[in-house]
Amino acid sequence: MKQAWRHLWRSRRRSLLTVFAVLIPVFILVLELGILNGENKSLFENTVKFETGHLQIQRAGDRPEGGALPLIDDPERILAIVDHTPGIAWRTVRLDLPALASNGSRSQGILIQGVVPEEIGQVSPIGKLIAEGTYLRTGEKGVVIGKELSSLLAAKVGDDLVLIGAHPDTGMGAADVPVVGVYTAPDPTLGRTMIQVDLGLAQTLARRPGAATSIVAFASGVAGPWDAPKIDRVVKELRAQLPSGYKVLDFRELAPDLKTFETVVRPIHVLFMAIFFILGGLVVLNTLFLSVIERTRELGVVLALGASRRRVMRMVLTEAFLLALVGAGIGALLGAGLVGLAESGGGLKLPGVYSDFARVMGMEPVLHMRVTLSELVVSGLAMVGVALLAAWVPARRAAALEPVEAMRHVD
Amino acid sequence: MSTNPVMRTEKLVKTYKTASVETPALRGVDLELCRGEFTAVAGPSGSGKSTLLHLLGGLDRPTAGEIYLDGVLLSSLSRDALSRLRLDRIGFVFQAYNLIPVLTVLENTAFVLELRGVALRERIARARKILGELGIEKYANQFPNRISGGEQQRVAVARAVVAEPAIVLADEPTANLDSKTSLELIDLMRHLNSEHAATFLFATHDARLLDRVSRLVTLEDGRIVRDEHRVKLAAARA
Repeated sequence: MKQAWRHLWRSRRRSLLTVFAVLIPVFILVLELGILNGENKSLFENTVKFETGHLQIQRAGDRPEGGALPLIDDPERILAIVDHTPGIAWRTVRLDLPALASNGSRSQGILIQGVVPEEIGQVSPIGKLIAEGTYLRTGEKGVVIGKELSSLLAAKVGDDLVLIGAHPDTGMGAADVPVVGVYTAPDPTLGRTMIQVDLGLAQTLARRPGAATSIVAFASGVAGPWDAPKIDRVVKELRAQLPSGYKVLDFRELAPDLKTFETVVRPIHVLFMAIFFILGGLVVLNTLFLSVIERTRELGVVLALGASRRRVMRMVLTEAFLLALVGAGIGALLGAGLVGLAESGGGLKLPGVYSDFARVMGMEPVLHMRVTLSELVVSGLAMVGVALLAAWVPARRAAALEPVEAMRHVD
Repeated sequence: MSTNPVMRTEKLVKTYKTASVETPALRGVDLELCRGEFTAVAGPSGSGKSTLLHLLGGLDRPTAGEIYLDGVLLSSLSRDALSRLRLDRIGFVFQAYNLIPVLTVLENTAFVLELRGVALRERIARARKILGELGIEKYANQFPNRISGGEQQRVAVARAVVAEPAIVLADEPTANLDSKTSLELIDLMRHLNSEHAATFLFATHDARLLDRVSRLVTLEDGRIVRDEHRVKLAAARA
């Protein structure tokens, strides 16, 4: 090890360049992982907090025509079961209803979320995203709409909207409802289509007092999509306890788009990173090839003195290991440092057009980053593995040298 | 001195071949080296001295003929087994010193012991002892490029003998040294030969060194033309 270290030190400039070449892919990988994890978490949180929860209990059966969910007439009975299920951190009753919102001559198809404001306020960010007016209060006749819908309907706080709800089981219901608040949605589609009203008003529009379409719940101890197994355990428990005629869906079933991240986005990034890693490996290969050529005579002496071929291979591989370890270590630490720095300031706020682009893509215009210790270790080890693989060729060449020929080598 | 042979060759032939030319380097060398001998192989350039030493050291394979080291037939050994034999039984001193530049004098000396798997404490003790014997212990922590050629070659000698091999093969060890340093080096090797009963075979074309050897083998055109035992010299020294 000491010998390998000194060899590297002897060719400091080349070693430093190689360390740099190894450092860069690991640094970029850690940043990528930070951004991917952060974005994955943002997507997850936006989805579960605005729309799906970690899981939902719905009536079994196909969706009736028009996209409405089957009605649950006795949600209290299901709530009682949910309240006795371990691992549930929060739950509420919701009535989702496809509807038409009109203001004068302007109309827009929307989805009404009938909520219990005090309960939904604990997890839904809409209350905190109110840009104008106020959030809902229980029993209040009012509607909270997104900025986008406000713009489409030219409706502002205080204006009355005509809401016409339609459910295949109950028919149509309509009401004049004043806009009490306008929220800024992280996703313009959401802001254009999703409005919240008090649960009682939604039941009126659905013409089914006391009814709901889903029990929305959060599982305990879930920090991000990587904690999905905790949700799975609760889902399994609920499925065992619920009477027939009900189904439990987790966030992946409720928002299949989230899967796109894992099935499309992540593999593309993996491919992208593989290219960087291969380039890093090629630099290691080049460095060690040069080193072996330069030290042909010395390696010949080592072989002549009786060193085994395995020992000579180990000498070369040890140098690759040290180069990769130092480079990967520095790269991982720099990456983690930058991720930590960005997050300590609440994430990186995207400037101008990038911010708009993020919003169009349904993402928060703030780049959140997150990287775990195990990801840092795996990133570093992956580079070390690539470097050792790359060093295999020069190591074999060194081991195959004939001592006499090698000692005749002129530097 | 024992008459027990350490190394023996039978009709040793080495021919270097290129695409169109065959160059004979050794043409049937029969040689027997006994334990404790201090032998020089002399001869003009191209006489086959280095080739003979390379073959005896298992660094190269003969075209024909056999080499036995302590009864072991070298041609029967695999490449790995030959490496192991070199490590365990043969010490080398090269013309160009060939010390490992990133190791200190002490580490270079102990390198063969490290390859043999000797424990750190023991190899340091043994390396220091031999460096002391050769008068270069004060350079123990220096790197080779910080000491003179003569001192480097002493380190190479220390490295060759530290593991107490069956035979030390030295290929023109004084070729790069001035005459005074050359004589000092040969005297040191002679000292190790008599104190440790180490068997030495070295190639040289320096006539001034030859009155210090106990046996002189002269090669010409790949053949042994003279094989003299310098009993008189040994007796005179005794």
